[in-house]
Amino acid sequence: MILVPVVMIFSIVACSPGSCFEETNALVKSTFYSDTSGLMASPDSLSIYGGANDTTLIYNRSQKVERALLPLDASETECSFVVEINGVTDTITFTYNSYPHLISKECGYTYYYTIEDPLFTGNIIDKITVTKNTVTTLAEENIRIYY
Amino acid sequence: MLAPLSAQEAVEAPEATAATDSVDIQLKIRAGVEIAGPAIYLTDKNILNLEAYCSFDLNEVRSIYAGAGFTDYHYSQYNYSFSAKGSFLKAGMDFNLLRPEMAEGRYWAGLGLRYGISRFSYETASFSYENYWGSTTSSVPRQSAWGHFIEASGGFRAELFKNFSIGWMVSARKLIYSGADKHVSPIYFPGYGESGSSFSFAINYFLTWNIPYKKIRVQIKPEPVEEPGDEETEGNDDFSRNVGRQRIGS
Repeated sequence: MILVPVVMIFSIVACSPGSCFEETNALVKSTFYSDTSGLMASPDSLSIYGGANDTTLIYNRSQKVERALLPLDASETECSFVVEINGVTDTITFTYNSYPHLISKECGYTYYYTIEDPLFTGNIIDKITVTKNTVTTLAEENIRIYY
Repeated sequence: MLAPLSAQEAVEAPEATAATDSVDIQLKIRAGVEIAGPAIYLTDKNILNLEAYCSFDLNEVRSIYAGAGFTDYHYSQYNYSFSAKGSFLKAGMDFNLLRPEMAEGRYWAGLGLRYGISRFSYETASFSYENYWGSTTSSVPRQSAWGHFIEASGGFRAELFKNFSIGWMVSARKLIYSGADKHVSPIYFPGYGESGSSFSFAINYFLTWNIPYKKIRVQIKPEPVEEPGDEETEGNDDFSRNVGRQRIGS
């Protein structure tokens, strides 16, 4: 009667922390549409890098990207991306509020964001619509880029 | 599970009367302290759990339960550091599933159902986050919250010495409401445990002081047992006896 619970107690205490298997980054999920047909249209070539971080490319002439994932800068309220679609370059600027979000005990914290309508230069991009303004770790589309 | 009665226990056993048709049961008020929490704290300074309870026998089966406790919890890993501190109250009913002639007012093996409420504060002293733009470090300031949960327990308790019991309880808790900001909810809160899931489990080990306050007589009611060839044994009382119970007064 005595030993069973004692063994159980020390078994519980001895448990090591678990591993994190969840998505830990909240990224702006962006899909591409043709402005003429209104249908999804993946660019033949896509390059993206942060406006103030041009040494590290997020996408480098990637082909047939259906959903581009854009990380926002949690320490700022605004950040820009240089987007090159089929050889033509545009800049998209996001303005947002960020707030911490606990993912789980194992994974710790990330940042969630609430974005406003993004600004863009109109070289190849015709329109950007926000489909969901809360950027989380869930696989939900946030913006549609028409070009 | 039950140890054989010692000589002292045999002398003090409730007297069976009327040819074992009834048994006297001593009803008690109990006050107990949980000892696993302080024992764990000796090996892990990150969690201190202090808990005590009182229970009041209504009869040989049911007892009213009330418990209270305090928890100071700390957790840290490579990317954040969390702490929570607060008190909790639990109230409910315990049910002794042992038959009275087996329990004898000294043994308890049964179930408990409780409602728990917790008042606590928690904070994340620091957390770090890293992505394409670099790493940032921030914190979540201390905030207070109420937590609510229900608890189902099962366990065993035995009176080792006169009016002194020892026993353990395994508990499953269902979170009703953590009372906190959904984005920076606590990973742990006092009374409930790890609040990342809607269920938590715990084991407690209690030392209990028993205060007898009333003696009742519980009848052990004979029940007929169906045997093959009932016709042949009809009228044979000894052959068809079995135990049952009915409380007949104080």
